[in-house]
Amino acid sequence: MNRVSIKIVGAQGQGVNSVGEMCAKGLKRRGYCVFGDREYMSLIKGGHSSYQLDISDTQIRSSCSQADAVVSFNHDGIERNLRDLKPGGILLHQTLQWTFKNPEDQKFLEENDIHVLYLPTEEILRKLNAKPILGNVLITSVVWALLSCFKEELQELVREQFGHKKDLLELNFACIEEGWRYRQEHAEDLTIALPEPDERWKHQLLLTGSQAMGLGIISAGCRVFASYPMTPASPLMTYLADVQKESGMVIKQAEDEITAVQMTVGAMHAGTRAATGTSGGGYDLMTETISLCGISETPLVIVLAQRPGPGTGLPTWTAQGDLLMAVHCGHGEFPRLVMSVSDAEDSFALMMEAFNFAEEYQIPVTVLTDKHTAEALYTVFALEQHGAVRRGRLVTDAKGLSALKSTDRYAPTAPDGISARWLPGSNAPTYCAQGYEHAADGSFDESAANAVAQMHKRMQKMVTLKKALPPPEFFLLSDDGVARQSDQCSALDLLLVGWGSTKGAILDAMEEMQNMRIGYLHYTYLWPLRTERLLELAEQSQKTVLIEGNQQGQLGMLLQQECDVQFDQKILMYDGRSPTVDNIVAALRSSFVQ
Amino acid sequence: MIIPLSANGPAMNDYSSPQTCTWCDGCGNHGIWTAIKRALVELKLAPWQVLLCFDVGCHGNMSDKLAGYRFHGLHGRVIPLAAGAAIANPSVPVIAIGGDGASFSEGIGHLVHSIRSNYNMTFVLHNNANYGLTTGQASALTWQGQKMNTAPFGMPEATLNSMDLVFALNPTFVARGWSGNIKQMTAILAAAIQHKGFAYVDMLQACPTYNKFATHEWLLEHCYDANAEGHDSSDFAVARALAVDTSQRVATGILYQAQGVPHFSERLESRKGRETTPVDEVKQVDVAAFTERFV
Repeated sequence: MNRVSIKIVGAQGQGVNSVGEMCAKGLKRRGYCVFGDREYMSLIKGGHSSYQLDISDTQIRSSCSQADAVVSFNHDGIERNLRDLKPGGILLHQTLQWTFKNPEDQKFLEENDIHVLYLPTEEILRKLNAKPILGNVLITSVVWALLSCFKEELQELVREQFGHKKDLLELNFACIEEGWRYRQEHAEDLTIALPEPDERWKHQLLLTGSQAMGLGIISAGCRVFASYPMTPASPLMTYLADVQKESGMVIKQAEDEITAVQMTVGAMHAGTRAATGTSGGGYDLMTETISLCGISETPLVIVLAQRPGPGTGLPTWTAQGDLLMAVHCGHGEFPRLVMSVSDAEDSFALMMEAFNFAEEYQIPVTVLTDKHTAEALYTVFALEQHGAVRRGRLVTDAKGLSALKSTDRYAPTAPDGISARWLPGSNAPTYCAQGYEHAADGSFDESAANAVAQMHKRMQKMVTLKKALPPPEFFLLSDDGVARQSDQCSALDLLLVGWGSTKGAILDAMEEMQNMRIGYLHYTYLWPLRTERLLELAEQSQKTVLIEGNQQGQLGMLLQQECDVQFDQKILMYDGRSPTVDNIVAALRSSFVQ
Repeated sequence: MIIPLSANGPAMNDYSSPQTCTWCDGCGNHGIWTAIKRALVELKLAPWQVLLCFDVGCHGNMSDKLAGYRFHGLHGRVIPLAAGAAIANPSVPVIAIGGDGASFSEGIGHLVHSIRSNYNMTFVLHNNANYGLTTGQASALTWQGQKMNTAPFGMPEATLNSMDLVFALNPTFVARGWSGNIKQMTAILAAAIQHKGFAYVDMLQACPTYNKFATHEWLLEHCYDANAEGHDSSDFAVARALAVDTSQRVATGILYQAQGVPHFSERLESRKGRETTPVDEVKQVDVAAFTERFV
């Protein structure tokens, strides 16, 4: 694996993100697969943040915990992130007259042959009479030169951004020249060695999981998005709001999460496609409405972007700790679907399925994502919509409407539990979408016999849905050493089982461990749970390993409940940090030895 | 979706339901229920052409006592539910119905923001100044000092002046009726449903079982038709003063209406120039044009 990692660090608001984004775009266009991971704190200015880019000629889907270069905007970053450097790595910093006071740091530098470069950003900018913000281009230019990339590529990127402002463009170009000169004068023999670029990456898309999910929502024909700001769900609403004139969607920032979900339910009931997005605390507030959708059989799509709880927890970090909440939330018993995205590609593709299942089964659907997926930067092949809009038993044609009776809405006689659904404004007999237990037309009915019949009707939808859901995806190493989906069921040393955003680091880890027979079973559909494939594969495996981003092994708990499977080992991460390829490799190696 | 108004229009009978009424004898709900049906009939709206959304409370038991598309949702949440439907399908008139308990306690935030958002919908407040369905607890609109269930020594909190709050939010339509005057309620509701924007309709209603202060007789003695006395409903300051001060008489009728203020959907840049409704637009969208910026 030819992977290069660059970590840009500094105080929030200093330009860490701009440098990261500019480098990412340039490197992708040069012919690399780029994976970007942002870390930041829950404040606007001053906290410590980082933007790490992992770069390769082959597909990579995660970060490495060790970097080839650390670029620091402040002295805090020099100290904090020094030990993130690999031996022989480069530390590029901008702190005047910096010395390593801590003898341990000095020892680390010497033992690991770290190259320390001081870039006099302030002095250069003063010379150019340029504002501090232009430091970002200067720093990017030095990094670009160290990567042995072409100056013209960077100039082109800058022209795209500032081409309409001639003065600014000239200053930017001057900064690029200064960056180039700095490298020639101070670090001519230093290089961050990239592999040969590969043409196939040049025209791919570089986008975050939230942007991909936004595109998935647009693609699925969703017309209303109502939400209340909460990290890490907010970037989704930000993206949808930014493109609303092109999409024509109604974007509503609601006064609270209950409003957001209620508006979504009202809009879905009226017959459009609508969705809301939130994180754990906001989802808590929405759960009464999820229960209402259970009994009123109203389709609902909620995006739950996870971060570590409980309480306010770690608002800007990642977790997979809300699976059991999504599966069990809401009072009473009712059918639902819980599913999870894992990267940009399925953040796009699965939104269509979320709406389809919500409408076909007339149930609430929770789509889990997390801070890692929501904010990571992915290089993806063109987003293709393989699904089509499926609206189930929605009746809209005049003939169908004229044949309806009010009692068709909640007829308990439907063998699969799914009734006809028709919309306000349709010329047909009317009904009441009812939050109370109800008779077939939505009228109140508190009789025991009716309560049982309606519960059976609704819960039958879970049985029907479980049969219709795709089984979990199984990944194996192909002959070319790439982890791909497979129908095989061959003998394995390790069967890994997981869900959500850990998939990227797991697949990358498998590719780093070519000499072992490792398979990964990835659960996209998490409730109801299909277990046939798991049992079949576990049978063929020396050892089963559960990998999750929570403390209890929540998917493992559900799987044990459903099919009595016992995992030989559990790799559980709950420190809020994104899973990294080398940490997964290390954990798997030790589990193989054990 | 364009709904043509039928030439002949529906009859009262089209709105009738086979379900038996379960309200107390003398409950104001009977009158409001009748006025709602009459207003819809007078507007020539058939049951399939309207959406009525109900909160949870005694009024919510109306949800199966009349025809029409209906949604009976959660306590306190009827306004955003109805607003979502109104945004999704502007061609179906949406009427949200909630009590004073839900709307001025649990759901008060929704009421505040719906007025400032000016969603194109009607909100009918069933105002009996207490929580009836849960057997007579004090609401925010109960008169201070009244002895209520869970407040056996009298409600300690100050009464919320609902009209002062509503007018503070710069509403575009405010009316007040009372449950003994079906003819006036019908006229108010018809005007509210036709109003472009958020129509706030306060229906004072008798609760013979739990409200011993603003009884039917009290309302009969105190309510008067302000429009009949020449009140100019376009004058905000006069309307506000009239609505807020109920110390002597209680003004009813259309107290305030601002014409021509754009409602929420009309304010959205993303919807400018679109003839279709969000309900009509559900189809797969090619995102190629959106992805160019990510290359």
